[in-house]
Amino acid sequence: MSKTILGIITFGLVVALVVIFVNGSKKGDGTMENSVIKDGIQYITINAKGGYYPLRSIAKAGIPTKLVMKTNGSFDCSSSLLIRSLNYQKILPQRGEEIIDIGIPKAGEPFTGMCSMGMYNFSIEFI
Amino acid sequence: MKKYTLHVSGTHCASCKILVEDVLGEQDFLKNIRVDLKKEIIEFETENQKSESEILNIFNSKLNGNGYVFSLEKKIQNTNGDTVIWTALPLGIFVLVMFFILQKSGVLNFGIGGNVTPLTSFIIGLVASVSSCLVIVGGLVLSLSVKVSEDKISDTKNFIFFHASRLLSFALLGGVLGILGSALGVNFTFTNILGIIASIVMIGLGLHLTGIFKRNRITLPVSLFNFFRKVEHKTFTPIILGFSTFFLPCGFTQSMQVVALGSGSFISGALIMFAFSLGTMPVLAFLSFGSASFAHSKHAPLFFKTAGIVVIGFGLFAFLSGLASLGVINPLFNI
Repeated sequence: MSKTILGIITFGLVVALVVIFVNGSKKGDGTMENSVIKDGIQYITINAKGGYYPLRSIAKAGIPTKLVMKTNGSFDCSSSLLIRSLNYQKILPQRGEEIIDIGIPKAGEPFTGMCSMGMYNFSIEFI
Repeated sequence: MKKYTLHVSGTHCASCKILVEDVLGEQDFLKNIRVDLKKEIIEFETENQKSESEILNIFNSKLNGNGYVFSLEKKIQNTNGDTVIWTALPLGIFVLVMFFILQKSGVLNFGIGGNVTPLTSFIIGLVASVSSCLVIVGGLVLSLSVKVSEDKISDTKNFIFFHASRLLSFALLGGVLGILGSALGVNFTFTNILGIIASIVMIGLGLHLTGIFKRNRITLPVSLFNFFRKVEHKTFTPIILGFSTFFLPCGFTQSMQVVALGSGSFISGALIMFAFSLGTMPVLAFLSFGSASFAHSKHAPLFFKTAGIVVIGFGLFAFLSGLASLGVINPLFNI
C-alpha cells in the first residue's frame, strides 16, 4: 500500500483514539440527585463499578458530609479508592457500602476521588 | 599492507565498537582495526592474501552470535525500515483503539457475586488479563519479551522462568497475606511509583523497538551498557520480574489481595492468588511466546515496530494515569 493511504488510515485511527479519550473525559453538567440530607448530615452516593457514577456531582457546602461508596461485585480498579485530599486509600468491599467522613466541605473547594491506577475518577463540586 | 573497508550493522552502542575491535584484534593478520559507529563501517589493514569474501566469512563467524553482521555492500535496510514504520503505525494504533473500545464497552464490568472461590478468582484473573491491567503488566511483558527475542537471548527459558516465578510468587504472597490477616496493607503510593517506573521502561523500549532514534542513537556509557547486558542474561532477572508483578498497580490484583487477606489461612490465601494468576496467564503467555515466534518469522521488522507503537501507547497511558493517581497532575481522562 502506498504511504498516502497508510497515512490517511493512521490519521483516521488517531482521530478515533482522541474521540475515545475526549468522550470518556466529559463530565457533563453534574447532578444533585445523588445527595440527601438526613439528620443534618449530607450523604453523597457514588457507585463504584467499572468506573464511578455519577462522574460529577454537585452538593451543598458548609454542612457535615459523608460519602457513600456503593460497590456491587466490583473487582476492577474502581474498588481501590484513593482520595488524595483526605489522604484516604482503601480497597472497598466487593459488595456493599463504605461510608467515608469528609468533614465540612467549603464552597468551591475541588474534591476528586480516583482509583488506585488513576484511570477512573469522579469529582464533587460544593456550592 | 592493503586497506579494506567493510560495512557492519548491529553496532548500537559505544561498547559495540570496543567489543568488535577487541574480538577482531585477536586475529594476528589484522592491523589498525577501527569501527566507525556513525557510518556503520569497519576499516582495517592486512597483509594477508585472503579475498574480501573470505575475510567477511571470518568476521561473521566470530561476531554473528553477538548480533553484528558484516557485509560488502551497505544494507539497504534504511529505506525498507521507512516503509515498515508506515505500516506499523496504523497497525499499532488500531490495536490501541480496539483495546480502549473494549475497556469502554463495559463488557468487562460484570459483577461477580457470592464468596470468592478459587474458581471465581480464576475467572477474575481472565477478565483482569484483558482489562486496563494489561496496560502495565501486559505492556511490560510484551516490551521485555520482544527485547529479549530481538537480542536473541534464549527466550523460552526466560519466559518459563518468568511465568513460573509469577505463579509461585502469587501463591506464596497470597498465603502470607492469608496468615497476616489485615495486618498488612499494600500502599498505593508504592505501587504507583512502581507503575511509573514500569511505564518509563515501556516508553523507552517502545521507542527503541520502533527504531525512531536509530539514526541519532543515544549511546549509553560503556559501563551502564555492560550492566544491562549482564542483567539481561542473568537467570534471576525473569524470576525477580515475575515476583514484582505482584506489586504492580492493578485494581484487580489489589482486590484479590484483600480477598486473600480476609481468607484466614495460608492455604486459602495461596489458592486464591494462585488461581488468579493462573487466570491471567493465557494472555500473558501468549504475549511472550507469541512475541518470540513472531520475532523469528519473516515479519519480524513489522512486528517489532508495531509492538513498539502499542507499548509506547500503553506506556503513555500508564504514565499519565500514574501521575494523576500520585496527585502530580489532574486526571486527564476517564477510561
